[in-house]
Amino acid sequence: MNAIVQVESVTRSFPLNHSKTRNLVSALREASLRVEPGEFLAISGPSGSGKTTLLNLIGCIDQPTLGRVLVDEVDTSALSPARLTALRREKIGFVFQTFNLIPVFTAAENVEYPLLIQGVASGERRKRVAEALESVGLAARAHHRPDLLSGGERQRVAVARAIVHRPALVLADEPTANLDTQNATQLIDLMRGLNERLGLTFIFSTHDARLLEHTERIVRLCDGQIQADTQLGNHDEGVGHGQVFASRVS
Amino acid sequence: MGKFLLLAFRNVFRNRRRTAMTLLMVGGGVTGLLLSGGFFAFMINGLREHTIQEGLGHLQIFTAEHFRRDEVHVLDTGIDNWRQVAATVQAGPHVRGVAPRIEFYGMVSNGAKSSVFMGSAVDPVAESSLGFTPRLTSGKDISPKADGDVQALIGAGLAKSMSVKVGDGLTLLAVTSDGALNGVDVQIAGIVKTGYDEMDARYLRIPLTSAQRLLQSDRVTNLVVGLDATANTDAAAAALAPRLPGTMVLKKWIDLASYYLQVRNMFSGIFLFLGLIVFFMVLMASVNTLLMAMFERTREIGTMLAMGTPRGWIVSLFMLEATLTGILGAVAGVAGGNLLGVVINASGLHMPPPPGLTVPILFHVLHLPSLMIGSSLIVIFSLAFASILPAIRASRLQIAEALAHV
Repeated sequence: MNAIVQVESVTRSFPLNHSKTRNLVSALREASLRVEPGEFLAISGPSGSGKTTLLNLIGCIDQPTLGRVLVDEVDTSALSPARLTALRREKIGFVFQTFNLIPVFTAAENVEYPLLIQGVASGERRKRVAEALESVGLAARAHHRPDLLSGGERQRVAVARAIVHRPALVLADEPTANLDTQNATQLIDLMRGLNERLGLTFIFSTHDARLLEHTERIVRLCDGQIQADTQLGNHDEGVGHGQVFASRVS
Repeated sequence: MGKFLLLAFRNVFRNRRRTAMTLLMVGGGVTGLLLSGGFFAFMINGLREHTIQEGLGHLQIFTAEHFRRDEVHVLDTGIDNWRQVAATVQAGPHVRGVAPRIEFYGMVSNGAKSSVFMGSAVDPVAESSLGFTPRLTSGKDISPKADGDVQALIGAGLAKSMSVKVGDGLTLLAVTSDGALNGVDVQIAGIVKTGYDEMDARYLRIPLTSAQRLLQSDRVTNLVVGLDATANTDAAAAALAPRLPGTMVLKKWIDLASYYLQVRNMFSGIFLFLGLIVFFMVLMASVNTLLMAMFERTREIGTMLAMGTPRGWIVSLFMLEATLTGILGAVAGVAGGNLLGVVINASGLHMPPPPGLTVPILFHVLHLPSLMIGSSLIVIFSLAFASILPAIRASRLQIAEALAHV
C-alpha cells in the first residue's frame, strides 16, 4: 500500500532569537516516518520536543531545512506556494489546540468554509455540512456561533470542519489540551470512530495519556529526534493497551 | 462569494466600538465635505446668476468679424441688420428677451477737466425687461425717451474725478464710425457702482439711440439674450445657432464670464484641498485601525491560510471589509450631512460679508447628488487604499508563526 505520509530524514532549523548570525537551533533532526492510509497515529513527547514542528511539516505549512516530506506521494518540497496551498486545501484537514474557529461564522458556516474555498456548489455544501455536523453530534447546534458553544462542542465543530471535505489526512495539534476529561474522552472517541468508520488517517500530537491509550501507534519525540515508533494493537481486535507490537528507534 | 461577503460584513461589526469610531470619522469627513461643498455650490450658483443678471445675459451674439480683428473705427465690426437678428432670436425657444448694446469709448469733459470713458449704450426698456438693472448709488436709471437731454449713468469713480453729481451736465466726445469727431451733451441721471473700482473710474452708460447718433451709425456691437432659465442655455444655444446668419457668432455666458470662472476655479481648488485633507485623515486613521484588526486576527488568518485559503482571498477580504466600512461611513455621512444641511438652511444663518460686499452672505447649503457621490467615493477609496498595507501583511503571514500567535 502507498504511504499517505513519508517523512525522509527531515531536519528543521530556526535562527536563534532572530539573530543575524548563523546560529541555528534544530527543532527536528533527521526525522523519518512513514504513515499508511487509515492509521490513527499519535506523536508524543515533552514540550519543545518538536511535535508541532513535525505536524507543521507534514501539514505543508512549514518547509524542512533538510530532507523531504511526501504527502500522498507528492514531494511537497518541489511544490510552489500556490500548489502547497491547493494540496492543503484538498488533502489535509486541521484540528487545532485552541479550536481556531472563525468567531463571526456559525458552526455550520465554519464547517462549510473548507468547501467554500474548494468551490463546491452550494447545494452540495449544505448536504456535506449537515452530514459532517451529524457525524460529530452537533446537528442541533449548527446555527450557533462559537462563543455560544462549550469547549468540547467547539472542538467537535473543528473536527467536522477538518473532515467535511473528505481529506486524505487529518492533522490535530494537541486536540484535547484545552478540554476537560469528559470532553476529551468524547473527542477521542469521536476521532477514533471517524478513523474506523470512514478510514480517515489521523495524525495528532499529544501528551495526553487518555488519548495515547486509544492509539494504534505512538511516535515518541525527544529533543527533535524520533526516539521510538511503537505499534500498538487494534482495540477492536481486542489487543491490550500498551502492548508493543513493533518498535523502531530512528 | 455571498458567504465571503457575509464574512467581511460580520467582521466589520466584530469590534463594534472601534467600528463606531471609524464610522464616526468617515461619516464626519463626508458630512464636512457635503456642508462645505454645498455652501460653495450655493455661492457659485449665486455668483453665476448674479453675473448673468448684472447684464451679461445667457447668450450674446456678435459678428464673426468682431473676434477676428480689432476695430479700426467704432462699430467697424458691429451688427448691421440687428433688428432682424433680434426678431429671429426673440422667436427662439426659452428666449425671454433680446437687448442690443454698443460698446464705445471717448473723452468726457466738464468744461474744466477731461477724462477717458468706456461707454455702454443700451436700450433701457429691453434691459429692464430682462431684469438687468444697474447698481445705482444715487439718482435713477436712464429713461428711454428720445427727445430732450441725453441722460447718462456714470461710474462713481468717474463722477468723483470729474467732480459731478446727479443733475450736472457733461460733454462726450467720440470718433464716429467714419472717423470724424462728434460730441453730445449729457445730463447725469444717476451714479452707479459696477463692483470694480477700475471700471467705476471709466464707466458711462447712455441710451442706444443717443449713442448711435453720436457715433453716426445704426449698428450695434452685440445682442444680449436673456433666457427663462440658466439651465436652458445649451438647449437655446443649439436651437438658435442654426437660425443665425453665417456671419454671426453666438457665445454662451460661460465663455464670457471670466471672473465667474476664476471664482469657480478658486472654490474648486479649495474643495479639492478639503477633499485631500479628508482623504488623508481617513487614510491615516484607518491604516492604524486596520493594522490593529490584522494583529488581533493573526491566528485566525493563519488558520484560514492553513486550511488552504489562497493568499489573494485574504487580501480581498481585508479590502472588502475596509470598503464596506467606507460605504457604511459614507451612508452615515450623507444622511448626517443632509440632515445638518436642512437644519442650517432652516436656521437662516449668515456669514460675515466678504471683501467688496457690504451685506452678509446667507449660509445656505445645496443638497447636490453629485457632491454626495463624490464625497462618498473619496472616503470609500481612502479606506480601500488604507487597507492595502494591512491586507498584504495579513496575506504574507507565515502560517506556522501566525498559528502560534498569542
